[in-house]
Amino acid sequence: MAHVSDFLKPSDLHRISNLQVLARQVVEGFTSGFHRSPHKGHSVEFKQHRQYVQGDEIRRLDWSVFARSDRHYIREYEEETNLRSTIILDRSGSMNYAGSTAGGVSKYEYATKLAACLAYMMVHQADGVGLTTFDTKIRSHIPPRSRVSHLRVILNELEKGKPGGETELGEVFHELEAKLHRRGLLIIISDCFGEVASFLKALAHFRHARHEILVFQIWDRDELEFPFKSWTQFDCMEQEGVKHLLDPAMLRQSYMENLAAFRDSLVRGCRRNNIDLVPFCTDEPYANALAAYMTRRLGRR
Amino acid sequence: MNFLNTAILVGLAAGAIPLIIHLFHKSRFKVVKWGATHLLSTVVRTNQKRIKIEQWILLAIRTAIPILLALMMARPMWHAGSGLLGDRPTATVVLLDNSYSMEAGRAGTSHFSLARDETMRLVGGLKPGSESYVYLMGEETGVLDEPTRDLTRLTRTLAKAGSGYGMARVPAAIEQVTGTMDQMTEGIRQVIVLTDFQRVSFPITEDKALGQALERLKNLPVRPTITLWNVGGDARENVAVESLDFSKLMVGVGQKVQIRANLRNYGDNPRPDLRVVMKVDGREQSTTQVALGAKAQSQVLFSHVFDRAGSHVVEIATEADAVSGDNSMLASIPVRDRLGVLLVDGAPGAAPDDLKSETGFAQIALSPFAAGKVEQADLIETKVVDAANLTTNHIADAAVVVLANVATLSEATLAALEQFVDRGGGLLVFTGDRCDPAWWNGAFAKLAPLPLGARTGEPGDTAPTMGVLGQRFEHPALEMFNDPRNGSLSDFALKAWFRFKSPEVTGKPDDPVVMARLGNGDPFLVEKPFGKGRVIACATALDSDWSNLPARPSYLPVVQRLCTALASTVNPPRNLRVGEPLTFFVPLENVGKPALLTLPDASTVDDTVAGRGDHGVVEYPQTRRPGLYTLVPSDGIPIHCVVNVDRAESDPERLTDSEIQNLAKSHGLQLVRSAEEFKALDKVQRYGRELWQWALIGLLVLLFVELLLQQKFARGGART
Repeated sequence: MAHVSDFLKPSDLHRISNLQVLARQVVEGFTSGFHRSPHKGHSVEFKQHRQYVQGDEIRRLDWSVFARSDRHYIREYEEETNLRSTIILDRSGSMNYAGSTAGGVSKYEYATKLAACLAYMMVHQADGVGLTTFDTKIRSHIPPRSRVSHLRVILNELEKGKPGGETELGEVFHELEAKLHRRGLLIIISDCFGEVASFLKALAHFRHARHEILVFQIWDRDELEFPFKSWTQFDCMEQEGVKHLLDPAMLRQSYMENLAAFRDSLVRGCRRNNIDLVPFCTDEPYANALAAYMTRRLGRR
Repeated sequence: MNFLNTAILVGLAAGAIPLIIHLFHKSRFKVVKWGATHLLSTVVRTNQKRIKIEQWILLAIRTAIPILLALMMARPMWHAGSGLLGDRPTATVVLLDNSYSMEAGRAGTSHFSLARDETMRLVGGLKPGSESYVYLMGEETGVLDEPTRDLTRLTRTLAKAGSGYGMARVPAAIEQVTGTMDQMTEGIRQVIVLTDFQRVSFPITEDKALGQALERLKNLPVRPTITLWNVGGDARENVAVESLDFSKLMVGVGQKVQIRANLRNYGDNPRPDLRVVMKVDGREQSTTQVALGAKAQSQVLFSHVFDRAGSHVVEIATEADAVSGDNSMLASIPVRDRLGVLLVDGAPGAAPDDLKSETGFAQIALSPFAAGKVEQADLIETKVVDAANLTTNHIADAAVVVLANVATLSEATLAALEQFVDRGGGLLVFTGDRCDPAWWNGAFAKLAPLPLGARTGEPGDTAPTMGVLGQRFEHPALEMFNDPRNGSLSDFALKAWFRFKSPEVTGKPDDPVVMARLGNGDPFLVEKPFGKGRVIACATALDSDWSNLPARPSYLPVVQRLCTALASTVNPPRNLRVGEPLTFFVPLENVGKPALLTLPDASTVDDTVAGRGDHGVVEYPQTRRPGLYTLVPSDGIPIHCVVNVDRAESDPERLTDSEIQNLAKSHGLQLVRSAEEFKALDKVQRYGRELWQWALIGLLVLLFVELLLQQKFARGGART
């Protein structure tokens, strides 16, 4: 049975606990304004009484206290986010790439740790968290729950899954959209490889359903810098038999241009849909990267 | 093409190294399982063809680099045509310009001394066994008489060669050495012309002479290589004394003679205070300063009175510039005590000085100071004798005999006269009313320049007149009238004259010459050489009966100059051009005795006086060096001869660089400017042209291109 320590080192957990407060504020940022739960009573917890001052809503007066003490008191409640977040994890073949600078950590391993971290954080602040893994289609779907025991289910799934197959974000997202009945926060952890247009279209679809979306794009340093020098045969991880034998130095320039164009189109598309696209590189600690993102996000509020 | 280090050509195999490296790299690739294939695939698809081409280009360049390196180290030599000369001996002819324009130079070193030193080095550096001949173009002679293999002797003799000679005629010099070259035996031949490319030396405008000379040289059985070596600099400043004119043809003791020097500044800088000195017999007599503008001409007038008879030398010198050959000009002047002129009057008046007599005017014109009782010396001492009283004694005493309106002479007198002229005397004959054409064309015909025809015109007061044709006069007696400032013959008006019958032109040197003509074309003055002397005949009378001659200002100079011209022919010429042989006439008592001839370079030649007729003769033909030649015979009375060069050489204008290049190009000549260039050229001819520098340049270019292309291919140009 998977335990959180299988995914997160004690130092990372410590770091995450430091992040709790930060995360709390960030999540409030996501949720404030669309807290319209139909189950009102469940989401309200009494905090304290306070003397009525002019301007307070009459309907918030505690009439029973007034009847008892003939004084006007207002009941104040602890507001609850009631956030439902779903981590959508890419398990396609390309996520299995482990570059030279990442110390043997593949993009998938990095992504699972990130997912575990996020799940841990969510559960520990009593928010609902779910997990969907996919490659060419949805491989597993765990709906969001906020119970602590739910974390174990998610961690088990993370441990179980192995990457393989092609990435087909567009179709998968359309399929997933049907499974997400309620609005919430979607955290997509993927390298986003594939056709940009259909991916952006799917994201737009989610946005249309009023989901809040975060895309954590996982990169390996090799993919960003293409540092190969000698003759290399590049075997495709997603499609069998696709091979390119070439002198990488001759192509680096055009690869870098192609990469820049790809990233640029993603960034623009996400910005257009008001989606945060956060690049992570496997050679930098995910906790640091996450903290940096959250700090940045806070600053933007 | 051949190689000096053939063994290194094995290194050409190194060209395979880049190919092997390429194949090795291609076979030893590493495999990467790659995720971002979608980013790579499009790049590979769009750039595959280009990459292939680029890889081939790079591979070709990389293969070429070691090949070129191996070629460079093998030291390739290129040579056109037949085999190389190597160290084989050659036949070398050097044409060295030693005209006086080569005295120009810079920093105290003349172009000639540079050229001579280069020639000495060149000759000294010839391969052992080579034969060589050095020809001095100004001097028109070889340093040694014929080609020699004794290069040391040639060099030693060459060291003594000097400049300052007359014009270097390159076409003539080439003609000269063509024969010499043909006699030489070595199979490899070269002709080297060291010159300052003075425009006068290279008649490129009339290219024919030069072209023909070069063609003949090139058409020798063994064709020589011809190299033009430009030793000239850009010296442009030169002031020359161009010519000297004397107011008198014959100078007498105590007579004032005017000497006019024509100066010319060829330079671009004016000479505001040019000092001009007149020296007589080496002693400075007079100095003046003259302003001479840039490219301007000017005249300076000196006068001098000679106080003793004999041979004198007048020198007009300017301040020295580098080209010393034309800084001064010399003239040898024979000064006479007196010149006896016998006037034979055919129509005498009451007294000898009666103006109505036939010779009255002439007597005054020939001795004006004596006639005017002025205390100045007349050169000409006149003696008047009636034609009837003329004896052979009268004739023997005179230098010039003037027959004025003489009807006939006795046979004895005529014979004496013929002998007198034959020995070098001058005879001046004027016609007149008593003149008998029958006697003239009969007994006198031997002496008469032309047969006498009919009398024309009337001597009356109102008779129509005929003028003298204004023309350019070639005769020394009349050439002063070419300058209008000296008067003119065209104000003479003739009322009556005899027609001379037209001369028969036979082409012989004793053909009569018409010195001046009348307006209708009839001869006015005719001259004929007779023996060593000359006869001049005038168509009209000496007095004023038939013309206005005695009333015109030109009468005096005409009569005087005709007399002095006739008298001056007694001596062989003492002012010569370079190349003309010197002839000294010395008194008879010196015959068989030694005479010392001093040459312009102060060297002396001992000679013996030969007897010829009534005088002794010394001849010296080698007059290439301009300057003063002084002969002192045993009687101790020196005779001076002056050899002057053609002043065309003074013009420092040179062919332009493009003209020189065109000249070399059109005749297939090689052109060098320095010893280094010549050595390089010679090396190429002997051993071929080394190509390693080009291979090195190619190698560096390829390395650079490889680097650039690699950067470019890796960085830019790719399609995404």
